[in-house]
Amino acid sequence: MSQAWLPLATLATSLLVVPLIFALPERAWRMRTALNLSAALLKVVLVALMVWGLYQGESYRFSFTVVQGVTFLFQVDALGLMFAGLSSLLWLATTVYAIGYLEDSPNRKRFFGFFSLCVASTIGIALAGNLFTFLLFYELLTLSTYPLVVHRGHAKALDAGTTYLRYTLTGGLVVLLGVVALHVMVGDVTFGEREMLADLGPEAHGLLTVLFLILLLGLGVKAALVPLHGWLPRAMVAPAPVSALLHAVAVVKAGAFGIVRLVYDVYGIGLTYQLGLLTLLAVIATVTILYGSMRALAQQELKPRLAFSTVSQVSYIVLGISLFGPFGTIAGLVHLMHQGLMKVTLFYCAGNYAEELGIHRIDQLDGAGRRMPLTSIAFTVGALGMIGLPPVAGFISKWYLGMGAVQANMPWVILVLVASSLLNAAYFLPILYRLWFRPGPAHGVGEWPQERRLGRFETSGWLLWPTVSTAVLSILAGLLAGLPFSPLDLASFVTAEEYTP
Amino acid sequence: MMPSLLLAVTLLWPLMLGLRNVLRLVMQGGALSRPGPRPELLDYWWVCAPVPALLLSLWPGEAQLLMEGWLLGGQWQLDDGRRPWLLFSALLWALAGLYARGYLIVEQQAAEAGDGDAFRRLLGFALLWPLTLAGNLLLIVAEDIPSFYLGFALMTFAAYGLVVHAGNRDSHLGGRAYLIMAVLGEGLILGGLLWSAGTAQVLTLTELRAGIATAEQGAWMATLLWLGFGVKAGVIGLHVWLPLAHPVAPTPASAVLSGVMIKAGLIGWLSTLPLGAAGLETLGRLVIALGLAGALGAALYGAIQRHPKAVLAYSSVSQMGMITTLVGVGMVSPPLWPGLLVAITLFAAHHGLTKGALFLGVGISEHPPRLPGWLLWLLLWLPALSLAGAMTSGLATKWTFKELLYDAGHGTLVAWLSVAAVGTTLLMSRALWRQWQERGSYRIPLHAPMPLAWLTCVVAALSVPLWVPLAGEHPNWPPLTEWPGLLWPVSLGVVVAALVLLAALRSQRKWRRAQRLMPGDLWWWYAQSSNRLLRLLHVLGNAGESRGSRLRGRLQTWETRATAAISELPRFERSFRRLAVPLMVGVAVLLLVGLWLG
Repeated sequence: MSQAWLPLATLATSLLVVPLIFALPERAWRMRTALNLSAALLKVVLVALMVWGLYQGESYRFSFTVVQGVTFLFQVDALGLMFAGLSSLLWLATTVYAIGYLEDSPNRKRFFGFFSLCVASTIGIALAGNLFTFLLFYELLTLSTYPLVVHRGHAKALDAGTTYLRYTLTGGLVVLLGVVALHVMVGDVTFGEREMLADLGPEAHGLLTVLFLILLLGLGVKAALVPLHGWLPRAMVAPAPVSALLHAVAVVKAGAFGIVRLVYDVYGIGLTYQLGLLTLLAVIATVTILYGSMRALAQQELKPRLAFSTVSQVSYIVLGISLFGPFGTIAGLVHLMHQGLMKVTLFYCAGNYAEELGIHRIDQLDGAGRRMPLTSIAFTVGALGMIGLPPVAGFISKWYLGMGAVQANMPWVILVLVASSLLNAAYFLPILYRLWFRPGPAHGVGEWPQERRLGRFETSGWLLWPTVSTAVLSILAGLLAGLPFSPLDLASFVTAEEYTP
Repeated sequence: MMPSLLLAVTLLWPLMLGLRNVLRLVMQGGALSRPGPRPELLDYWWVCAPVPALLLSLWPGEAQLLMEGWLLGGQWQLDDGRRPWLLFSALLWALAGLYARGYLIVEQQAAEAGDGDAFRRLLGFALLWPLTLAGNLLLIVAEDIPSFYLGFALMTFAAYGLVVHAGNRDSHLGGRAYLIMAVLGEGLILGGLLWSAGTAQVLTLTELRAGIATAEQGAWMATLLWLGFGVKAGVIGLHVWLPLAHPVAPTPASAVLSGVMIKAGLIGWLSTLPLGAAGLETLGRLVIALGLAGALGAALYGAIQRHPKAVLAYSSVSQMGMITTLVGVGMVSPPLWPGLLVAITLFAAHHGLTKGALFLGVGISEHPPRLPGWLLWLLLWLPALSLAGAMTSGLATKWTFKELLYDAGHGTLVAWLSVAAVGTTLLMSRALWRQWQERGSYRIPLHAPMPLAWLTCVVAALSVPLWVPLAGEHPNWPPLTEWPGLLWPVSLGVVVAALVLLAALRSQRKWRRAQRLMPGDLWWWYAQSSNRLLRLLHVLGNAGESRGSRLRGRLQTWETRATAAISELPRFERSFRRLAVPLMVGVAVLLLVGLWLG
């Protein structure tokens, strides 16, 4: 049975909100909040419905022909749904957070309009059924994120926005080239029809390798693979909810998701392995992981440190898919979700410290655990998860990466994992130490840079509750990984599909 | 059903008690920032956190708890192998908890009276103590690898808060040494576990041991795991955190650190290494050598320390060195393993409680209870003599493994271990001598928590062979003919200690050189070399950075030039416009010519 309306409705929830938000006047705060929240909630419900349906064996498909030979196709598979689920869940949390964060600041209408557009693009990317549709939303994401990055409008933000556009537009152009070339070779590339390229025979392998590299180069810009990561730390000038979304689901994840699609659904893991490209991916991921961690270690400010940590952590996904075998795949996919949950928590916390206490530098964090206990606990959870300690979700990713490394006969990857864990510990534990064990303004030593009392609790409830809930989710995703519908369960479900012929 | 429930309660109870204080504060709303009286944190509920664990360890029969949704499939169990470990750990935790109630009474009173700083520190202690306990218990009962790792990590990281409780400079240094070494250990353990579990494709510890025994690279996996857990077990070279962290931690925390937490490293070895299977002979020889080096070296270095707790910490390194040697023997000659396991378990229980009693005794000599002086010091000496192997549990332990090693023809090893026992006697004399010099005069009542906990611990420590359940095995008491062979190290040690004491009292010179040998020995060297390495990396990083910026600068120049070239283009516009008419005319003429010719 084919229910075309569900994926379309899911896209529509965020896409149709955009004109409505732009139509509302700037001061219609209540109306806009209600609209945003109800759309976000509705989308979570719709995605949950699709997950349920998929487990029941239903399929959702929607397509129309744009021009001869080019089709717009929405097709719901487990992999896409996983990304859609993550995106809708974190959209809800981030919307709540953004409402609190941008209170009393100008241009909220513009912000929420483009914010919804950005999320609509990620949903489009998740549900896209062929390369053409994917590319469409991929570019839409690039453009809709720009106004968010430069939202503050000062010189530094505009500068960062320019850098962002340069990197991503060039990357997009390269992807376009690759897609067109594939189109010329085999026609419409539908995800999941892996025999298309595999059937081309060995004489096409040279060209296919080159095209893979071109596509990887293009997608690698958004996935922030070293040396294409330059835009990411600079985009940190964006407001906290934007950075949170950027790092957890939107831009960086879209790049990583694109690479996952490229390997599993365009080329097929078998063909990629045959072409020897997996080793290349593993090497790139290793370099990115270690380089990102090293750079994070050198940062003195909180958000840039988190940004470099993202560079490093997102490559775990790439590392996972480069390990041939079900365990590696599970690791890559499950980290797609786990990293999103943990990183979004960390960015919310960074935003909370900045909003409530005016803290931007790490050395200003002394004793903040006493002033903002819940935020600091959430930060601790996120940081321990990034290091890979149980029971936080990061441990599950790391465990499967290790299993996958042995299965793929690349035990040296374990060395990378250990080194990365140690580096993560080296740049996160000092922050935790400052939070909890150093006396600071809360103990009567010195003064917070710019303290505001935003709410009844340690900070405004709009900022606090999303932070706490994503932290709790990060723990639950690890602690109860064995339950049905946990990220691990979903990832195993996807993997079972990939590896059964 | 009932045992499984008890197993769950064992872990949940400490967690609940830890959270209870926090919840109480939340209920009272902002009690942290408000001046005025505060609730009592270390009450008797808090003290009884390990009670379910004690009950569980005394529960007849085995217990098992399977949880499918927990991590990657939870499996906790209590069997005969785990029972003695659980029993002595829970016992020491309970006694140390009771002791802590008395030890921190001053802070507690200050906190109740409204001292915010004291209250906050105490709150941290009251929260982290049960957390550490829960981690320790979990790693004992866990059978699935993720739970085991969770317990280990929880214990390690929560204990950091106990080490830095005092909040002064020394405690932060001790805490840093503890944490850095612990993180390194965690890294090695993670690597070893991932590698071996991935190769064998297993999730439980029993299968993991079997997997490592048959794996091709099994010896290397075992080496990784041995080193990783060795950090906790105080293997020489990796032991540097012990003498730095122990003296600064509150005394009850030192007692559990030295008594049970370093045993977690030993438990790690026993649960992950394929002991009793062939294939680890090379590693075993290394383990024996390092174990003996630790046993002797720590004794020598520790005997010149000033702080009694530092001396005791070195004694722990030395004792763990002996146990390490026994583990090494098990690797070299696998057939001996079943007997060795009994000896090691007995040794661990004996050392755990005796070292606990000795650490608790440090606090007792600072705040002596109302006892006659001779009785007090006799009671302080008893566990020391027992640890040196002169009497009761120490004697039984020593005989158990000596008998085994003699029968297997490891005579040289026994001789070396006896030399280490001389060292232990020296360490004990040194520790008690320092305690005597720093003894306090203010007397506390005998029925206060501190003396009660200490006395119980002394009694429990001396009677370890009587109550520790060794799965049907009973430790033998040595026959009278063997006593001279067992007692000479202690006698020699006492004589040497007395001679040294006399010499020290006679000579008035200060021992400057010895005083410069600070606790932590190799740590200072490690810190220096890593600093040098970091500086080198920094220089290299800067060089790379400047090269990168030069490259960026060049790219930027090109870009500026390109943009300039593009903005130059409009200049051609006018020429184009001027050219348009001649061009058209030219084309027309050409066409005409073409037509005419055609």
